[in-house]
Amino acid sequence: MTTVAAPRLSRRISEGLFLTFCWVATGIAILALAAILWSLLSQGIGGLDLNIFTKSTPAPGSEGGLLNAILGSLMMCVVAMIGAVFIGVLAGTWLSEYARDSHYGKVVRFLNDVLLSAPSILVGLFVYTILVAPLKGFSGLAGSVALALLAAPVITRTTEDVLRLQPIALREASVALGAPVWRTILTVIWKAAQGGMLTGALLAFARISGETAPLLFTALNNQFLSLDLTKPTANLPVVIFNFALSAYDDWRRLAWAGALLIAATVLTVTIVARIIAREPRRS
Amino acid sequence: MNAQLENPPETAVLELPPEVVKLAIKDLSFFYGQKQALFDVSVSFAADAVTALIGPSGCGKSTLLRVLNRMYSLYPGQRAQGQVMLDGEDMLSPRVDVATLRARVGMVFQKPTPFPMSIYDNVAYGVKLYEKLSKADMAIRVEDSLRRAALWDEVKDKLKESGLSLSGGQQQRLCVARGIAVKPEVLLLDEPASALDPISTARLEETIAELKRDYTIVIVTHNMGQAARLSDHTGFMYLGKLIEFGETEQLFTNPVTTRARDYITGRFG
Repeated sequence: MTTVAAPRLSRRISEGLFLTFCWVATGIAILALAAILWSLLSQGIGGLDLNIFTKSTPAPGSEGGLLNAILGSLMMCVVAMIGAVFIGVLAGTWLSEYARDSHYGKVVRFLNDVLLSAPSILVGLFVYTILVAPLKGFSGLAGSVALALLAAPVITRTTEDVLRLQPIALREASVALGAPVWRTILTVIWKAAQGGMLTGALLAFARISGETAPLLFTALNNQFLSLDLTKPTANLPVVIFNFALSAYDDWRRLAWAGALLIAATVLTVTIVARIIAREPRRS
Repeated sequence: MNAQLENPPETAVLELPPEVVKLAIKDLSFFYGQKQALFDVSVSFAADAVTALIGPSGCGKSTLLRVLNRMYSLYPGQRAQGQVMLDGEDMLSPRVDVATLRARVGMVFQKPTPFPMSIYDNVAYGVKLYEKLSKADMAIRVEDSLRRAALWDEVKDKLKESGLSLSGGQQQRLCVARGIAVKPEVLLLDEPASALDPISTARLEETIAELKRDYTIVIVTHNMGQAARLSDHTGFMYLGKLIEFGETEQLFTNPVTTRARDYITGRFG
């Protein structure tokens, strides 16, 4: 009989050191997150009252809220997501189902990965150059286009990834019944992957809801409540940016409240996305 | 003791009388890109009977099956040469619409592949591709198919539940029901029991034995007992060639070729 020898002392020391290092690194990351959440909560919760949701951004010294910015952000994000889901789902489907191993597919996949990590300020400048400057005006629609350009690569990527996970046998089973490939994708493959696709869309939404840089060059801001997306449109990130840097206490309080709102939204959306992703594929 | 022939032939393929032939393969060769996987296979499958294809892994039996419903046409690098005559009509001809072909030649795969929808919708899926049935007629078709696949009694109270909620064996019988719901003439089974436990396998085999009254069935299997139990004719393949084809009983008790004899007696495989 052989017995397992106790590990050597040096091996146990290196094991211990490595584990400690991992713990410390994890601790630092969690501490940073906790500090951010704590300062957001402690500074933002005081500014959260009903006025936030009922009144528009005020002049310094007068009473006001964030209604125009919340509505503007919501409108721009929804319009952006409609465009991004349309482009992203179709592009991801094309990459996974029609161009999996083709040369052209590889090029498009690479370019999409580049877009995925492109700095958002570049996207803002790009939309400024092709939309805002020629049309001589900032607009909520330009903001939506910029946000859509940021969300579409995320959705393309996640769509392709979850579609690729679907077994070949599932596609063949549908085709073997005589279904054309497009119908197989629409009725079987998308259905099997819908949880993952929805998760990808939600994560893209979470990403764009806090983007500031692309909106500075496109939607700009608007002091008043406006539902017209062809005009400059108020939005939470830019309002936070302006108010947080101001000298007025009440503006800074609103900035904190807005930041807390965005953080809460992103957190909620992420949690929902996680729950959907974890749900077993049983309807 | 079997009589050993002094000079056993390389190949021995039984010719079926033309009146019983449903599906006839003539000089079929198949290529995965540059690699040839089937070499001049010629064989006939009888109507309302079960034909088993056996042979070691990679011998081309699954490839042969995938030619019969032109499944290979999904993949650009794959091509077939030769003829597959279904009732005298060449199914490999480009004039034959693949969807129509696949309605006539159904297939069940190695692993159960229920679609992510209800049990009822799984069975109705293929039917909706070809026929516009009233709700009542569709319900009859679904029930009939599930009965023939010997699954009805287990699922009749939960037709609205997901097909994925069934056990593996039930899922495979659901796939059989889905395949026969479109009323095909030929049913191809690609190792249908290889992912199932013995009890589920026995149930599936009973189902297949029932189905052969109405369908021409071709089954690929690794399990020689299964081939012997289920089939009327058996073909033995090796390295992309059909080595021996004949009555199942004859092939299993007294194979003519040395290769088939070696494989069946377990000398290799």
